[in-house]
Amino acid sequence: MAYKPPKQGLAGQIFDVLTLLVLTVGALYIPLYLGLAGAAKVPNPIANPTWEALGQNATEQQQWAALGITDPAAANDIITARFDYSFSWVALIVMAVLVIGYFVMVVRLSDKEYREVIEERFGKKP
Amino acid sequence: MANVTSTAGEPERLQLLRVLGPAHIWALGVGIVLVGEYMGWNFSVGKGGMIAGLVACWVAGLLYTCVAMIDSEVTSTVAAAGGQYAQAKHIVGPLMAFNVGLFLVMAYTMLEAANAITVGFLLDTVAGMQGHSGLNQQPFIILAIMFLAWLNYRGVLATLTFNLVITAVAFLAIITLFVSVQFGASNVPLDFSAVTTDPLPYGWVGIVAALHFGLWYYLGIEGTCQAAEEVRSPARSLPYGTMAGIMTLLIAATMTWYVCSGLVPWEYLGQAGTPLFDAARVTGSTGLMILLFVGTTFATLASANGCINDASRAWFSMGRDRYLPSWFGAVHPVYRTPYRAIVFLVPIALIFALGAPLDQVVTFSILSGLLGYTFMTFNMVMFRNKWPLDTIKRGYVHPFHPLPTIVLLILCSTAYFAVFLGYGTQLSAMMCFYIVASLWFHFRRYQFVRRGDQFTMPWPKPVGY
Amino acid sequence: MDTWNILEYVAWALSAMFGVLMLIDLIRIDTTYDNELLISSREGEIEATAERHEI
Repeated sequence: MAYKPPKQGLAGQIFDVLTLLVLTVGALYIPLYLGLAGAAKVPNPIANPTWEALGQNATEQQQWAALGITDPAAANDIITARFDYSFSWVALIVMAVLVIGYFVMVVRLSDKEYREVIEERFGKKP
Repeated sequence: MANVTSTAGEPERLQLLRVLGPAHIWALGVGIVLVGEYMGWNFSVGKGGMIAGLVACWVAGLLYTCVAMIDSEVTSTVAAAGGQYAQAKHIVGPLMAFNVGLFLVMAYTMLEAANAITVGFLLDTVAGMQGHSGLNQQPFIILAIMFLAWLNYRGVLATLTFNLVITAVAFLAIITLFVSVQFGASNVPLDFSAVTTDPLPYGWVGIVAALHFGLWYYLGIEGTCQAAEEVRSPARSLPYGTMAGIMTLLIAATMTWYVCSGLVPWEYLGQAGTPLFDAARVTGSTGLMILLFVGTTFATLASANGCINDASRAWFSMGRDRYLPSWFGAVHPVYRTPYRAIVFLVPIALIFALGAPLDQVVTFSILSGLLGYTFMTFNMVMFRNKWPLDTIKRGYVHPFHPLPTIVLLILCSTAYFAVFLGYGTQLSAMMCFYIVASLWFHFRRYQFVRRGDQFTMPWPKPVGY
Repeated sequence: MDTWNILEYVAWALSAMFGVLMLIDLIRIDTTYDNELLISSREGEIEATAERHEI
């Protein structure tokens, strides 16, 4: 006997879409609002910057000039900014567990649903 | 060919229009991705230096070659709108399919938002160069999305023919820049001294970190299979268009790295908004500058255009199977496009384009893509196990199985780590989102889905069931 | 008020126009045709007619 799904009314359809929307927007904006998002570079400007001190050779100086930056002081922040790649092992493990756990959960639940589909489409396993 | 299928005793049915050829598939695939050469990839240079940028370019190229090979085999066999979504539905199961559908919609809608942001940014730069500061970018962002959505609404052939033209122009612009610089059109010579003086400013971890944005060179090439129901002969066109696309991109990516790294100091390149346009500015040639401005604009528009196309196909397919409200599974009776899905996704794209910073949007897009590639690895293994090669006819069989799968899985894990290094919080937030959405689907939404109807391919019963 | 200001207004106007065009057409189609017909598309219909996966 094939499974007969209930018919969904308009209100239910709208409700379902809104649920999904709230989830999506939440996932993007909550980290932003909590200020946890992203890793910005930290500039370590040097004192009395010159092109030489900033490690820029003659050609590179020409290139900076062509980009509209002729004063080494203006390029000081851009050149000396560095990312910080230190991380905590706990956070890494939490992430690994989340990703792997997620895929395991999805595949297992999918397989349960998939068996129903195959059974309805091809008949029961002999 | 009849566009409306109607057999005796059955009511008339609307279908998407089957009008596309391999060139359109190439345009859809490359069109979405080529923008990555015009913006975004260069953050990988910022993440790890010039060498890391090049290594990331090639490693990501290897990752995507695996993706294209695996995807071509499955999609030449499961030819349905929704692409990987329909693959997951037939091979892994409904919940996986729902998740893959969400990956696709999120990856493409976010990429579309990122493109619109770039259009606004580029116009602001140009206005600034002409002495008009403080341009209001909003109307241009909205216009880009509205116009392309309208184009998509009006029909797929015009949309992708438009894409073919502007993608070709954007691609030729990169080649022209490369060739002109080679023949000395630049006032400033190429300089690669940073490769030796400052080879790896962050050491080896920089190369791993660079992989995060290295993906951006190719992200979205897998979108070609969304057009499966609109291609004249999917089993041939899809693998052909996809493979041609990845080759185009490998060439374009390497040339882009070469020209940009040679002309722009890496510290500047690593944070530039429009790297190829900046490289053209350095050459001092007005002609090249205009060409690369046009190229950048076209590339972003082509990408946004392809994204609207792909995201709406995925959303439409999910509506058609009632994974989402069935209202979305509608086809326009005249234009034969999934018009409700197209219209619905417009405000969503606008929310992200107007409200979130570019790197966040890009990261969300990359992450959704990455989850999709991870899915492809076990999808491929299950596909070969459930239907061994001698049980169904495949349009294309990729060589060296399971080597590409293993390589893809290793590279995906590395890419997760790379994303984690910069954007660990977003990664966790995103995983929580997908976990909650999965539970919602399994325990609430799935009751509305007809079980047996989900399996639509004329295949034998899978082995082991 | 220079060219760029004018362009801003043009962009607003065009955005509104494309948006309204789509919405009007959507409403027109939804009220003209039966919803059952509009959502009648099925996956795999092509497969049955054009390509059989048999060896």
